[in-house]
Amino acid sequence: MAEVTIRDIVKRYGEVEIIHGVNVDIRDGEFVVLVGPSGCGKSTLLRMIAGLEEISGGEMRIGGRIVNTVPPKDRDIAMVFQSYALYPHKTVAENMGFSLKIKGASKAEIDAKVRQAASVLDLEKLLDRYPRQLSGGQRQRVAMGRAIVRDPQVFLFDEPLSNLDAKLRVAMRVEIKELHQRLKTTTIYVTHDQIEAMTMADKIVVMKDGYVEQIGAPLELYDKPNNVFVAGFIGSPSMNFIQGRIRSEGGAQRFVSDHGTVLPVRPLPVEDGHPVIYGVRPEHIALGAEGVTVRVAVVEPTGAETQLFSRAGEDVIDALLRDRVDVRAGDTVHFVIDPGRVHIFDAQTKRRLT
Amino acid sequence: MGSNRTGWLLLTPTLVILGVFGILPFIYVLWVAFHQWNAFGANPYMIYNGADNFRRLVFDTEFLESIWFTFQFGFFAVVSEIVLGYFLAQFLMRDFPGKAVFRTLHTLPLIVAPIVVGSVWRLMMTPSIGIIPYFLDAWFGYQLNIGSNAGAAFVVTVIMDIWHWTPLVTLTLLAAIVALPKDPFEQAQIDGANRWQIFWHITLPMIRPAILATVFIRLMDALRTVDEIWMLTGGGPGSATRYIGLHIWKVVFPKTDYGYGSAISVIVLYLTLVLCWLLYVGLVAPRNGRRT
Repeated sequence: MAEVTIRDIVKRYGEVEIIHGVNVDIRDGEFVVLVGPSGCGKSTLLRMIAGLEEISGGEMRIGGRIVNTVPPKDRDIAMVFQSYALYPHKTVAENMGFSLKIKGASKAEIDAKVRQAASVLDLEKLLDRYPRQLSGGQRQRVAMGRAIVRDPQVFLFDEPLSNLDAKLRVAMRVEIKELHQRLKTTTIYVTHDQIEAMTMADKIVVMKDGYVEQIGAPLELYDKPNNVFVAGFIGSPSMNFIQGRIRSEGGAQRFVSDHGTVLPVRPLPVEDGHPVIYGVRPEHIALGAEGVTVRVAVVEPTGAETQLFSRAGEDVIDALLRDRVDVRAGDTVHFVIDPGRVHIFDAQTKRRLT
Repeated sequence: MGSNRTGWLLLTPTLVILGVFGILPFIYVLWVAFHQWNAFGANPYMIYNGADNFRRLVFDTEFLESIWFTFQFGFFAVVSEIVLGYFLAQFLMRDFPGKAVFRTLHTLPLIVAPIVVGSVWRLMMTPSIGIIPYFLDAWFGYQLNIGSNAGAAFVVTVIMDIWHWTPLVTLTLLAAIVALPKDPFEQAQIDGANRWQIFWHITLPMIRPAILATVFIRLMDALRTVDEIWMLTGGGPGSATRYIGLHIWKVVFPKTDYGYGSAISVIVLYLTLVLCWLLYVGLVAPRNGRRT
């Protein structure tokens, strides 16, 4: 087990710089998720930690040791690939024991460790099978088993659940989390799925276009997103954003959208007429007798929740309600917004104002 | 029913061509193999002689020697071609200036007719006019004469075959290597394997089917090579490079011993099949996971 320190890491392909000086500190035993849209550099960063990509600038430390030029085989890490990367010509047991065999471990030791990992992952009956004889979920387990057998300093996961169906994905998510709680090995996990990030991480690193947008605990990011990007990326359904200005009248402030919709805000240290982006999560909107008047365009009941896609004039505001409500498309209703749960971002810098 | 008939209809041209040019001649050779027949001799008719031809070749030292030379030739040529072809394929996986030109140039031998290859090599090898004996003499003081040195003649036939057919091996292995997934190799690096271990444990097993297919193709080809050798050495000196294809040709045409020549052909086909079957049983079947 080890901490991982990423200092001013830069990645260039020729002239093109795709990661621009990233800093992340990962504590020993922490479960860190790198999340962001495709092309944000999260996989490249992971591959640099693994040693599969060269580091163009900055410093990378694993367990205090600078590993910039250390080849992957000497970094003492284990990695689970999106494609699982199983050796097609080796059985499950051989796949799992390969790293130990390379290290020169005895047959008895390999066998014992493989069996132990197999029992943890419920793979005992599959040990003599070849990868092509396994289902996607089983292959995924073998890939994890191969990582566990190593007992490495750091686990790296590169979108390991992306090729599984939705149900299996949720099950494996829980398993990986449990595994981490049991083994307490430092884990770095890459995903584009913000729900995976929220549910699994001790700490989330949100990336975009080769920059780190925000680092924090899942609920920190949810409650206090630094900027419009993080606010929109974290949380599902996505946060409502409305362009407009802050108006002060007689000491009271309120938000007026470019289309004239008036919405409540907390007191803000900005002057009258300051252009802002108003953000409110759909789940923080309630129905009431009075409030913002909206016309419901589409109603999506899912049983546990009801999502309303609605318009206040020209402004789009969606709401997610816990209860079943008797609202139909075309109805006019009133949305109540708690100003304490509203996020205000500067329209120019896109950064959080409060 | 309808689709069945369409299927047979579509297969007919292939079956006809295969039948006329493959199966009928083969049956004819089998038929001739059980006869004594010398069409230009005193008695130009076929005379049935049972298994006499086959009995004869068991004690025919010329034939046995020829078989032995042929296997040596096949072994050295194919092994060298596979090793060399693999390295060339790996070389072509890298980027270097002039790669496309090199790749094209290096496949040129493949499109040259064997008889031309034989002629050119003969020209290059002939003492006093050939470029290779000239330089061997000038640089190393070695007198190369494939007309008198049996060992040298054998080596030169092997080198000619390597020159002619390594590009084929390179291309098939290159196709296999290009098609390999990238991830298992990265995984192997992370698993702690060095280059040699990755080659031995990952690359080799993963391209094994391609290697075996290439070995089969090349071995069958090498065992029946005639024209290049005929042109280069004529089977000599003595019978040092009289490989089995050439041997059959000499029995059938100059000697016009059709029956005996056919019998040798049948036995050579049988031996080739046995060899491939042994290779298959020894190398392919036990590692094939589908069987478990």
